[in-house]
Amino acid sequence: MAKRQKRFEVLDAREVNQDGFVTEWAEVGLIAMASPSDPKPSVRVQNGVIVEMDGVKREDFDFNDQFIADHAIDASVSEQMMAIPTIEIARKLVDINVSRTEVAKIFSGLTAAKIAGVMDSLNIVEMAMGIQKMRARRTIGNQAHATNLQDNPVLMAADSAEAGFYGFSEIETTVAVFNYGPFNALALLVGGQVGRPGILSQDALEESIELELGMRGLTAYAETVSVYGTEQVFVDGDDTPWSKAFLAGSYASRGIKMRFTSGTGSEVQMAYANGMSMLYLEIRCVMITKGAGVQGLQNGSISCIAVPAGVPGGIRAVLAENLVTTCLDLEVASGNDQTFSHSPIRRTARMMGQFLAGTDFIFSGYSAVPNYDNMFAGSNFDCTDYDDYLVLQRDLKIDGGLRPVSEEDVIKVRNKAAKAMQAVFQQLGLPRITDEEVEAATYAFGSEDMPSRDKVQDTKAAQEMMKRGVTGVDVVVALAKGGFKDVAQSVLDLQKQRVSGDYLHTSAILDQNFNVISAVNDLNDYQGPGTGYRLEGERWKEVQNIRTAITPEDI
Amino acid sequence: MAQQDLINSIVREVMAEINGGEKTVSVGSRPSGGKLNHKSDYPLAKKRPDLVKTPSGRTLDDITLDRVVSGEIKAEDIRITAEALEYQAQIAESADRPQLARNMRRAAELTKVPDVRILEIYNALRPNRSSKEELMAIADELQNKYSACVTADFVREAATVYEKRDVLKKDW
Repeated sequence: MAKRQKRFEVLDAREVNQDGFVTEWAEVGLIAMASPSDPKPSVRVQNGVIVEMDGVKREDFDFNDQFIADHAIDASVSEQMMAIPTIEIARKLVDINVSRTEVAKIFSGLTAAKIAGVMDSLNIVEMAMGIQKMRARRTIGNQAHATNLQDNPVLMAADSAEAGFYGFSEIETTVAVFNYGPFNALALLVGGQVGRPGILSQDALEESIELELGMRGLTAYAETVSVYGTEQVFVDGDDTPWSKAFLAGSYASRGIKMRFTSGTGSEVQMAYANGMSMLYLEIRCVMITKGAGVQGLQNGSISCIAVPAGVPGGIRAVLAENLVTTCLDLEVASGNDQTFSHSPIRRTARMMGQFLAGTDFIFSGYSAVPNYDNMFAGSNFDCTDYDDYLVLQRDLKIDGGLRPVSEEDVIKVRNKAAKAMQAVFQQLGLPRITDEEVEAATYAFGSEDMPSRDKVQDTKAAQEMMKRGVTGVDVVVALAKGGFKDVAQSVLDLQKQRVSGDYLHTSAILDQNFNVISAVNDLNDYQGPGTGYRLEGERWKEVQNIRTAITPEDI
Repeated sequence: MAQQDLINSIVREVMAEINGGEKTVSVGSRPSGGKLNHKSDYPLAKKRPDLVKTPSGRTLDDITLDRVVSGEIKAEDIRITAEALEYQAQIAESADRPQLARNMRRAAELTKVPDVRILEIYNALRPNRSSKEELMAIADELQNKYSACVTADFVREAATVYEKRDVLKKDW
């Protein structure tokens, strides 16, 4: 270009212009919603069996079609619900005079193509209204990530405690180095219960290892159980709807909560979208989850967010997938969990749908560590955004699941978690945690502030810990003997959840007294102004009380 | 599937009554006239603690920190039973969540299958891992060795679909 216009030079330097954008390309599935190749809605039921679905005859079903037809859709009402005009269903979603129960009943009989049509009839505000009504649990929740670049267990315990203290209901980790898995699970279990008794923790690893950690009682739930919208991608992911459903039953058989994971863009990314829109394929994932009898789903594009975010209407489609999950009466952990944009404006706008409407877990999760330590490739918001987030809650009078905290209190809980971890390591005969490490973890910003550990020794000990068969109960004993009776009691109370199975139900979380709050005893009853969850009373006062607000007395 | 689940659940209930509960707990003071309801019975731990027992027959209140530290209660004592999962399935059903209830019933059956075998069966169900005969043998094992009839049928269904969709182990 010969001569630059100065404003364009400034614009070019803006963060948003470092993001990637593409025009729609329906043939390969680079289209958010309503691809010309998306099937047209149809259903035919004979003798209680679906014999045709979205234009495909039963004999031509692939395994996803068959699983959805036989397990997800209620064949006894399907023809009746499919006969309701698409626009009418869309209107019922936003109509405050129509109950959640009624809408859920309609969706129980719909096919993926019909649901896609309903979604495409809604603008983004209507989608948020839909989620406000259809979210399963009345009370809002949030989830955090706690990971670090070094897999440092002391730091991880301190970070988990801080996250719990901020108010997250769930906490998730994964590994930088594969062999650290058991230590990371241990760090979240111990640190999490220090920060807030009743927080649920998980460790995202390969499916069978994740299950093993759960069986041992080192984690309280599982989430990284992926499902996919096309048969080919499912096979490439080394699973089928049946293997995943068996896994779901396995978790429940040990009394462990679990949800599946999926998201728009994964099929395109794996190059088998077959020309279908991202949302249509994602709706199939939601239906497979439903059919497997799993209580909930993590979706909202998740690790593939760059794909829908690059195409027109992509962020709207991401909100639509969350909405579909709620309409199928499933718990939704609604994404917002991966860095997708260089622009802070865009990052904030991306989470607004879930934040304003309120979901079971607005983030899945929010990075409780600096993004450089986030081993899920960075989250949409991290620990440096805490005060922005708390102010947004206060400005808009929204319950985003977090509460203001003081520096003094955070130092206390971080220190206690690091010391508790030190005691557990000592009692379990794991490599020593020094006082210097405890001190560093208490005051650290991130893993760069930690003294380095002998990783060979740590990973060896972590593997040996699994071989020895260390369980959550051993952790209880270690904590009690190490002088942390209150934390021991919390870890024990968490283990006890798997005896009653109450927290296997839809959208279950625990309060700090280990009472279950789920979509059974806390079912969302929103039906317009004056109903549903309202931020008020003590909780609203708590949200108002940010640490930088001055009071009249200050003046 | 739904009908089969129902039949299996009835069979299980009858068997439980005949045996006075398996080796584990007696079904005890379950409500006469039938199934649990999400409004009156949930959460079980609070509203029906009489129905929540560990495999060794202890109540939730029996599981104290002192007993755990002394070694009297071990990890294998803190587990869910098939009965508790059946109660939770009834609660899910009453809350109009039939699929969730079905998963809980498969889970109830799997309580008897050892951890290691669970992991093996999961791996066998992954695509291109097993022949149809191998999957059918797993189904028979589930049915005959563990009385896991609902899950056995689920594995048979998988075998049939895998054959149709060509995701069985290939003979090289």
